[in-house]
Parts: sequence; C-alpha cells; structure tokens
Amino acid sequence: MSDIEPETDKLKLGSYEFSSRLIMGTGKFSDAETMLAAIEASGTQLVTVALRRFNPDRVSDDLLSPLSALEGVTLMPNTSGARTAAEAIKAAVLARELSGSDFVKVEIHPNPHHLMPDPIETYEASKELASQGFVVMPYMPADPVLAKRLEEIGCASVMPLGSAIGSGHGLGTHEMVSLIVRDSNVPVIIDAGLRAPSEAAAAIEMGCGAVLVNSAIAAADDPVEMAQAFSTAVESGRRAWRAGIMPQSDAATATSPLTSFLSRDS
Amino acid sequence: MQHITPDWLDPLQLADICMSARDGTVQSALTATRPSAKEFAILLSETAAKRLEEMAQKAHSLTMHHFGNTVSLYVPLYLSNYCTGGCSYCGFASDREQRRYRLSRDQVRAEVLALKKMGFEDILLLTGERTPEADFEYLKKCVEVASPIVHNVSVESFAMTADEYEQLAKAGCNSITLYQETYDPDVYEELHRWGPKRDYAARLEAQDRALAAGMRSAGLGALLGLADPVSDMIALYQHARHLQRSFWRSGVMISFPRICEQRGDFSPPYSINDRQLAQIVFAFRICMPDVPLVLSTREHPAFRDGMAGVGISRMSAASRTTVGGYVPEDVDTGGQFSVSDTRDVAKFCQMLESKGLDPVFKNWDAVFQA
Repeated sequence: MSDIEPETDKLKLGSYEFSSRLIMGTGKFSDAETMLAAIEASGTQLVTVALRRFNPDRVSDDLLSPLSALEGVTLMPNTSGARTAAEAIKAAVLARELSGSDFVKVEIHPNPHHLMPDPIETYEASKELASQGFVVMPYMPADPVLAKRLEEIGCASVMPLGSAIGSGHGLGTHEMVSLIVRDSNVPVIIDAGLRAPSEAAAAIEMGCGAVLVNSAIAAADDPVEMAQAFSTAVESGRRAWRAGIMPQSDAATATSPLTSFLSRDS
Repeated sequence: MQHITPDWLDPLQLADICMSARDGTVQSALTATRPSAKEFAILLSETAAKRLEEMAQKAHSLTMHHFGNTVSLYVPLYLSNYCTGGCSYCGFASDREQRRYRLSRDQVRAEVLALKKMGFEDILLLTGERTPEADFEYLKKCVEVASPIVHNVSVESFAMTADEYEQLAKAGCNSITLYQETYDPDVYEELHRWGPKRDYAARLEAQDRALAAGMRSAGLGALLGLADPVSDMIALYQHARHLQRSFWRSGVMISFPRICEQRGDFSPPYSINDRQLAQIVFAFRICMPDVPLVLSTREHPAFRDGMAGVGISRMSAASRTTVGGYVPEDVDTGGQFSVSDTRDVAKFCQMLESKGLDPVFKNWDAVFQA
C-alpha cells in the first residue's frame, strides 16, 4: 500500500501541482459550449489546445479565448501541425506569447494520416524548449529508452501513446508503458488511443500519473456524461493504486506442499 | 495510341474485381479491418450500391472517428480566367466566348481581405493554364500577397516544374490541387484538344514534383462524367496511395468534382447521379479513413447537407467561380461553371451547426510555414 494520503496526492509537473489526473484535449467537439461543459464535468485542471485552432480574428472559431476564461484550468498549448523540431519550437514560442502558459505539449507527427510522433524531432524540440524554460510535455512513441532520454533533458513528463491518436484501440502499448512507468522519475501520461473509461482506469492502476483524453469524450454521443465517466474512472484507478493492488501471479499457490517429505532437521 | 503509364497506375484488374463483386465479397469488404485496393474496388460495384445505407453508416462513423464533429471550410478565389487550354469540358477554355480578366495585385489583396472578413483563413487561389497574362511569376506574386493575410493558402493552377513548386512553397503556398480530370489516357488525349495540358504524364507527375519540393499536401481528383467512373476512381485511389507511400511527411486530399453546366456545347459521356457520387465518397472514406475528402459548391445544397460529416470532412462555402467576385465593385466575368450551393457563410454554418457539426475556419497556423 502506498503511504500517500489522498489530500497530498498530486500530479506534479514542473513546479505545478494538480489534483485531477485527467487531462483533456479540446478538438473534435461539435461546438464550444459542449466542449466547455465536458471540461467542467471532467473536473480536469489541465487542457491542451492546438495553436492552429487559436483564432483571435474570429471569436466563434477561436478555442483559446473560451478556454482562457475558465477558472482553475491551466492551458497547455500543443504544436500539432509541426513536422520538424524547428517548426514546433516556433509554434511553442508563439503559443506561449498568445496564451501566457509555460506548458507546451510537443506534438510532432509529420505523417498527417497516422499521426505517429517523430521521436528524433520530438527529442530535439523538447531539449531546446526545456532550455528555454518551458514545462515540456512530449507526445512520444511508447519507447522506454526515449522516455529516459526525454526525462534526462528536462521534460516535465513523458506522454507515450496508448495507441494511434483517435484510434480508440486502448492501451495497445501496455507492455512498453509498464517498462516506462517502472523506471520513470517524471509522471507518465498516456496520451492517445484511449476509448473507454475502464482503459483510463487501467492506465492509472498500472502507475501512470495521468491520462489525456480527447476523441473518446468529444466523439461520444453524450460528451458531458462521458467526461464525468472518465473522471470517476481516473479517480477510482488512482485510489486503487494508492490502496495497493494485489500482485498478479501466473500460478496458483499450492495447497499440498511438495517438500514436506524433506525433514527440517536434515 | 500507346501510352506509357507509371507502375503504380493499373486500374484494369481492379475494375474487373469490381465488375465481378458478389454479395459475399461486398460483405467482406464492408467488414474488413484494413481495407485495401481490392476492397475499394468492390465497394464501387453495383452489388455494393445495394448496401448504400450500410456504407453511409460506416463512412459516417469513420469520419466522426478521425475528424470529430467538425468540417473544415475553405473558399476558392479565381485570380484570372485567361487560358491557353483546350479542355472540351471547361467554361474557361481558350475557344469559349468569355470576358477575359485577371486581378491586379491590389485587387487580390482586396479580395483576400474581403474573404478574411467573411471569416476564411483557408483560401484556394485558381487560374487557368499558363498564359502571358497569368504566368508563374503572376501566380507567385498573388501567393505572396495572400499568405501574410490568411493562414492557409493553396493553389489550383497549371502543372509546374519542381523548381516552380519550390518557389511557390517558399512564397507561402501550403498545398496544391490538380485534377488529372481523367486517368484514361485515350479519353484524356481526346478531351484536351490543345495546350500544355495535353501532356498527360507531366500532369500525372505534378503532385510528385510538388510534394518533393516541400508542399505539405496535394489535392487530387478526377472530373466525374468524362470517362468510366469505376476505372477513374480506382486510378485516383492508386494515385493517392502512390503519393502516401512516396511522401510520408505529406498529406493528400481528395475532391469529387462532378461535371456541371458550363459555357460551350460539351455534354459529358457519363452521367453520375447523387447515389453514385455518394457511393464513391463512402468507398473512399471506408478505405482511406484519415484522408480529407472535399466537396465544393458545385453540388446542390441538399446533397452537400447530407454528405457533410458522412464521408466529407472539408467543404467550400459562399464560393464564386467568376474572377474575384467577393468585392462589390468587381467586374462580372462569367464563371468557370455554375455554383449550385449559393448560400452565404452564415447560412451554411447554420446548416452545419444544426447537424451538430462545428464549422472550422482556421485549422492551420502560418507559423508552420517555412
């Protein structure tokens, strides 16, 4: 059992602390009102928003202004659209200027169809942005070596994908993520692919610091209800983690000992 | 006449598969986890047409999955209708009686500013074939005028050299659209009576040159009605797959232009009805779930409304196909073709919103431009 009290159990990212371990994405919603209602229902304190959806010239098309107005919610701009480290760095600097947030979610997925993160460009951009004082949150392939490399250069977390963005294939990278979690000194946040609240709970139960969910909420029939469901699942998963989950075992414990014929004295 | 086509382009065998599709193969194609070219061909078949509703359901769910409850909006701006081309089916062909006009740089700026005021951040600049009035330098200057004003500028114009595409990308153009019109080389030759566009291969390889030169995406399409739609759509699919395999950092987009009324006496040899066009869009969505599929205002409002979010993820709105046309004092030239959906931006957005779809004007940022 963990000796962490629920009251002091916080998600620590750089110098920031959050009690919610559900991070939300803001794309794919049918309108801003639904997005805001879902954010509220989720209890999230950290949301990510793409710089390419900042539109100060047209309020009805802008995601930044309604999100900035939310009390108790920190913005984490992301660099989605960048194909290279150089582009991501430019985007991060501009996003910080416009949003006032030090957080940046480094998203470099050069292939616009499968959106898999480029590990090399992600590493380069994260290194530069960390040196510029950003709270760097890199979206990355579920690679335990890359995770340590990103931690070493000062990333505030690592964000391996559960499966492809928007795929809803859940925690397909379970085995790699468990290796990342085992060795990481920064929170491990599952960033993509989660479909159902049970998968979010499973990620948290295995020791992930948080999960980031977008499509599963935005594309649900009732996004607000789904946001609430994810919130409960994440909370439940964390309680289970604190409570200490029974270790898994492949073999049953033998009831008839095989060594009883051996004398204790001999 | 013998034509040499690239290895990736070979629609005949797949067209046979389409012809011989049966209920069982359609069922397998509809339920395939990773549909390939073969499934695509089967979904274009008449047997599959009987299951249009199922195809629509699947297309809708995949569109929601990949694009969410959103539709990206763009708007075309015709810069010039001068043309040296002899395309039999085009209202701007050089033998059509048409008032010829091109926008000056100041006019381009005024038009782009007017479009921005309407909310657009994604503008497609168009010209005819290369002419002294609207040559590459002219087009490049227009891109340079537009790109500091709106976030996303793309071009639909003549096929260019690799060097020209590179210059255009540097000027701020993100993407080019170029329709092969038809992938059937014989029909192509017959319909393109004169002009540089007669060179089938040079046009076919234009997207390769553009993407190699640094454009972020390429738009493809075939003008439906010119040739056998099954072969053309299979070829279009093969073209898109070829580009995806060759340029992994780039995107492709697919449009579905259906030939419509224009100046001249051309009557298309094939007629594609709404159900057939819908089936084509659904087949593409099912087999290319993450590719933006585009529908323009060529199509009538009821069809556009029905297709929004059901396969289609990107749409134009409030379009004019005359030169300029967004500033009140513009000269009234005839259009390249008739626009069927004449709703203004507010009305079109209202329709999308009533269907639970968020119209997205800005889905890009100029900061990513090199």
